[in-house]
This record gives sequence, structure tokens and C-alpha cells, in this order.
Amino acid sequence: MKKLRKKWLLFLSIFLCLALIYLCTIVGTASISFEDVNRILLHEIFGLPADMEGISQGSITIIRDVRLPRVVLGFLAGAALAVCGAGFQGIFKNPMADPFVLGVSSGAALGASIGMVLRFSGSFLGISGTTLLAFIGAFATIGLVYNISRVGKRVPVSTLLLSGIAVSQTLSAAMSIIMILNRQTLDQIMFWTMGSLNGKGWRQILLVLPYAILGGLILFTSSRELDIILTGEDTAIQLGVNVEFLKKKVLFASTLITAAVISVTGIIGFVGLVVPHIVRMLTGPKHRILLPLSLLFGGTFLILCDTAARSLASWEIPVGIITSLCGGPFFLYLLRNMKKGGDFS
Amino acid sequence: MNQDILTFSHVAAGYGEKNILEDITLSIKEGDFAGLIGCNGAGKSTLIKCISGLLPLRGGSISICQKEHAALKPRERAQLVAVVPQSYHVKYDFTAEDIVLMGRNPYLSFRKKEGPEDYAIVEEAMRATNTEIFRKRLYNELSGGERQRVILARAIAQKPRIILLDEPTSALDVHHQIEVMELISRLNEEEHMTVLAVLHDINMASRFCKRMIMLQDGGVFADGTPQEVINRENMEQLYQMKLLIRESAIFHKPEIIPVRVMDAPKAKERRHIHVICGANKAVKLLEELDAKGYQVTAGVINQGSEDWEICRELHIPCVEIEPFTPVTPTKQEENLRLIADAPLILVADVPFGVANLQNLVGLENAPGQIYFHKNALSNDYTNGKLIRQLEYLGTKKKVTYIGDHDEFLHLLEKEEKRISKNKN
Repeated sequence: MKKLRKKWLLFLSIFLCLALIYLCTIVGTASISFEDVNRILLHEIFGLPADMEGISQGSITIIRDVRLPRVVLGFLAGAALAVCGAGFQGIFKNPMADPFVLGVSSGAALGASIGMVLRFSGSFLGISGTTLLAFIGAFATIGLVYNISRVGKRVPVSTLLLSGIAVSQTLSAAMSIIMILNRQTLDQIMFWTMGSLNGKGWRQILLVLPYAILGGLILFTSSRELDIILTGEDTAIQLGVNVEFLKKKVLFASTLITAAVISVTGIIGFVGLVVPHIVRMLTGPKHRILLPLSLLFGGTFLILCDTAARSLASWEIPVGIITSLCGGPFFLYLLRNMKKGGDFS
Repeated sequence: MNQDILTFSHVAAGYGEKNILEDITLSIKEGDFAGLIGCNGAGKSTLIKCISGLLPLRGGSISICQKEHAALKPRERAQLVAVVPQSYHVKYDFTAEDIVLMGRNPYLSFRKKEGPEDYAIVEEAMRATNTEIFRKRLYNELSGGERQRVILARAIAQKPRIILLDEPTSALDVHHQIEVMELISRLNEEEHMTVLAVLHDINMASRFCKRMIMLQDGGVFADGTPQEVINRENMEQLYQMKLLIRESAIFHKPEIIPVRVMDAPKAKERRHIHVICGANKAVKLLEELDAKGYQVTAGVINQGSEDWEICRELHIPCVEIEPFTPVTPTKQEENLRLIADAPLILVADVPFGVANLQNLVGLENAPGQIYFHKNALSNDYTNGKLIRQLEYLGTKKKVTYIGDHDEFLHLLEKEEKRISKNKN
């Protein structure tokens, strides 16, 4: 019974997700008719013969090279962040953890701002300097936090969290100094930290995809062990889980994914926190279903937020603002509910 | 079959600066049911943690099934050893079956998913522990006893050679305590599972374990059958209190009866009190008088009665006779010799029949004051002889009748106060 229900839930989510991608591709500020969009999609994406008469080259470019990649990247980023969130909440055994809690975001932001200030116009293998620096910043931060927290061979999660917060604050301060000293790039850095999918194309997707797939594989194959660690680290060791290796594995995979995503999009908060939470309420804590559904829901959530970001106002709102606007209050709601349950730790 | 399955040699371990275990050397044989006892902080749980890989050793070595413990990978160790911890909560909504299925983890990998064989093992484990009826219910919503059975099922699903239990019954009521212990006992008997259990309830340990190991000051203090380990010396060392040890009439295993931790307020004078008793109602009184520091004697007592047992435990001098034999005049003479020294004589709450009425013969010549427990009159099986004996005694001496033993203790206290006032 329950298994069947979960299968249905999965199918329904996939269907909803595809429908949403489609819908969000149609919606946009440039008015291209519903019919035209269909024809462009059929012709350009699926390679099917469709009558392309009367459709301007501009419309084709907007759909093929602007809207569709943006929606796809939105899905990819949202899915990746949500899956990482689920993984983090697993190893931290704390529903309030998310990929940014260890300072990935601050590290990336600092890296990116250095790149912007130094006007790093050069690129490496087609990757812009800012992106590269953000990626390096994110990874270096996690490496630092991990090594600070290490006690012998073990890394206690409480120490990890605390040093994560401390390092994160320090890096933010460093970034603030850079911003104050370089007022001319202030806007640019500000916008970067708010996160946006604006102006991203297929190239960025290809950039993120390998990391996302690699990290995702690591996380998905750790499902059972993540389940077990939720019942306690000691128990996990006694059930044969190599807990320290699992932590390392999940931290590495999540950092890989998150760093790749945010170095391209900027900081998009709360997706990794809120989405796994909602999914857990629907399906329970088992990662075998939690991870794939987080992937779908996360992607969908970010597409929705991004569509709102680009169509609510006549100007572009950074999508990070929208996700935080949705996520913040939800976080508080969870916090209050947990307090009532007396089970907040 | 009966070879060593778990061997400790000079094991040392601890937390922070302090070593909890200093030097543990012992071995557990296959099929053993060993109970670890010891006071709080003696290192029982620490030892369990060392075996299950939660705590690294600081010295010595452990070998499990002839394999060096330190060289085992977590999953290899989990295939040999399963742990049942103290009552155990999970914050997340797993079903009972999910939890039991986790026991199969040591046999799975990222390539090998749970197969039909694993589900069959899980089902069998849940049947053995009577948990299959709530396999789909959430673990968190189960009662303490049910949860503990689920954890036991998980341990069984692990198919280990050794099962370690860390106070498995500490959070349970008596019904569930016994249920869990019986399950473990059955595993040991029927499946020849080797069991090492930390138990804080000595009587439970005595009843179920084949072997008991007592830890103290980081080492093994005593090791042997329950009969060998549970003696007054070991137990008073363990609990730092006064307790009694007797053989349980039902299980024929030693059991302890905790008596007191705090010393009773001492009487000012070590006066001699002779208690005439012999059944089972004077136990508490005898203990209390002894604890208050009186010089207590008793007689004539049937061997095997509870009054007799406490006299023996507390080394109270008494005149004794074999069970179901009458008090002979010779025995009564012995009794009277004890009585002759006593300024206070108490006839305790004891049923009188023709066999023990002799106890009261000759009291009229005793120098001490006589107190008589009224309830003895309600258990009079002498066809009026008791009454006549008392009437006769009454003509010769003053007999003070008391309602219960506490009243007697009260009278003693009052008299003491009076005496000390007079002295001042």
C-alpha cells in the first residue's frame, strides 16, 4: 500500500515538474504566443518538423537560448541545493541544517567579490574568473572548517556546526571590508550575493552538470547509511556504518554540488533548508524516497520562484530574495512548531 | 563449540585524562551468558563501547572470534557483534520494520540493496520478538517495552555471534523487564548466541546469567557463577550498604535484599536484648535492633526460618533447633542462659504451638523486664496453654504487652531518655 503510494507520489511529482517547466517557459515579459512557443519547442528542442513560418528569429532566440536554459538551470540549481540540504540534515541529524550552514556561501561570496574587485576578466577553460574564484572559495572554506573541527580521526558535528558559523561570520566580515574599500563594485557584489539566474545559458548548465551528477551519485548511493545515521551516530557505528567516512563523503559531495551551483548563480538561500523539510513531512525520513523527491520539489520550487522573480515586476528581482522571502517565514514556522513539540535540538 | 569468542587482554580505556578501565583481562566462551556488574562508573558500559568500536583502546587488545579487534572494519565488526543499548529514542519517523531492517546494513553495500533474503531474516527476527504485529507502526509511537523488543529484533537481524546489552531493561517496568530478559535467555539457549550484558539489577543478573563478572576500580573484581560472585563481601563492596543475601526459593539462585544505606541512629547504651522468635515476623525488628547497636540475642529458632536467616546473616547469637522439632528442655536451658544476661526480653510476634511453648518456660526467673507482643495471642495453637503460661508468668513478674514492634522500639527510646536525664 505505502510503497504504491510513494510510487504514485514520485510519478505525480515528475509529471507536475515537467508541466511546470513547460508553463514557465511560456510565461515571460516578451509576449510570444502560446502557439509559437509550442512550435519553437517542438522544432528547436525535440527536432520535430514544425511549421516555423512567421516566427521571428528573436522569438526563437528568446525561447531557445534565454528562457529554456534559464528554466533548466533553475531546476538544476534548485534540485541540487535541495538534495544537498537533505544530505546535510541527515549527517547533522538536525532538520535545521542546510548546505550554507558550514560557510559554503560565505566562502563563495568572498571568492566572487575578490574576482569582481580584481576585475578578473580572463577565463580559464571557458569559466569566468569570478565563477572560478567563487568555486575555490567555497571549497577552501569547507576544507578549513572541516580541519578546524577535527579531533583526532573524528569530526563531531556540533564542533563542525559551530566552527562553520564562526568561519562564515569571519568571511562575511572580510567581504564587507572588500565592499567598503571598493565602492564602485558594491552593486555588483550585492547583486551576486542575492543570487540570480538572469543571463545564464546552456554553457553554465554544462558547467554545473558534471559536479551535480557526481555529487548526486555519491549522495544517492549513501541513502541507507544516511537513514541509519539519523538514529544516532553510535548506533550507526554499531550497525557497521563507517560514520566518519560517511560524513566526509556527504560533506564532499554536497560541497561539490553547492559550490558548483552558487559559483554560477550566486547565493540562493533556503531552498536546501525548506524543501527537504516539506518532503520529509510528506514521505517520512527515508532517504531512498526523500532524496529523489527533494530533487524534484527543489527544482520545481526554484523554477517557480524564478518565474516570479522575472515576471512579478517590470524589473528583475534577484531570485535569492524570493526564495528567502518564502523560506524565512517557513523556517520560523518550523521553529515554533518544533518548540511546541519539545523536540528541538 | 566452547572456545573463547571474546578475549580481553590488559585492556585500558577511558575518557579525557582519566582511565576508566585500567587492566581488564578476561575471556568469554561461545554460548556464555555473562552479566557485567559493578557500581556506577566502574566501566561496564565503557567496556561495551570498546567492544562495539565506539571507544578506542588506550592499551591492551580485544579479539573477537580470534580476530584482532582493532583491525576489523566497522561492517566486519557489526557482522560479529550486535548491541542493544539502553532505552533508545529516534527523532525521526521510522517504522518498526525500517529499524529492524537497518540491522541488515553490515551485509549490504552501495551496490547491494536489501533483497528478499534480508526481508525474510527481518521477518523472522520480528516474529521471534513478537514485534511483527506492529511492524508498520512508527517506532516512536511504541511503548518502552515494544521499542526495546524492536531493537532486540534489529540485533537478531544482524545475525551476530555475540550480542552485547547495555542495561537493556533499565527503563522498563517489571513485566517488560522479564519479557526482554526471557527473550535474551531464549536466544542464548536455543540459538547458542553468546550474550554479554550490563545489568544493574543484581537479582535479574543472578537469575538469568550463567556467569557474572564484577568490575571495580578498572579491573575485574570477581568472576564466576552467580553463587560464587554474589556473596556478602562482594555485594557490600559493590553497593556500600547493608544488604542480605539469600537463595531465592523459586529460582534457586542467590538474591540480594538491600537493607539500609544510612546508619540507624545509635542507641546510647549497648544494652542486651533477647528476642524470643522463630518464624518470619521478627526479621525487621532484629535488623533494626542490631543496626541501632544493641547487643541482640535470640532463641529458640527453627533452622531455615527467616528469623534464623537474619540471625545468621547479622551474626546474632541464637539458640537454634532443627526444623519441625520441638524445643527441648536442654535447648531451653541454653536459651535461658542467654536470657539471664539480658535486662530486656521481648517475646516477638510469633505463633505459639505445643512445640515452641517451651520457650516461655523459666522466664519467671529471668532478671530482665519482659515485653510481650499481643499479636502472638491471635496465633495461639496451644489450646489455651499459652494463656495459662502467661497468667502464671504474670503472677511472678511484670509483663508489658505491646501492640507492635515499633511500639517496643519507642519504649526503648523513651526509657533511654529517662535514664540519661536521671544521670544528668
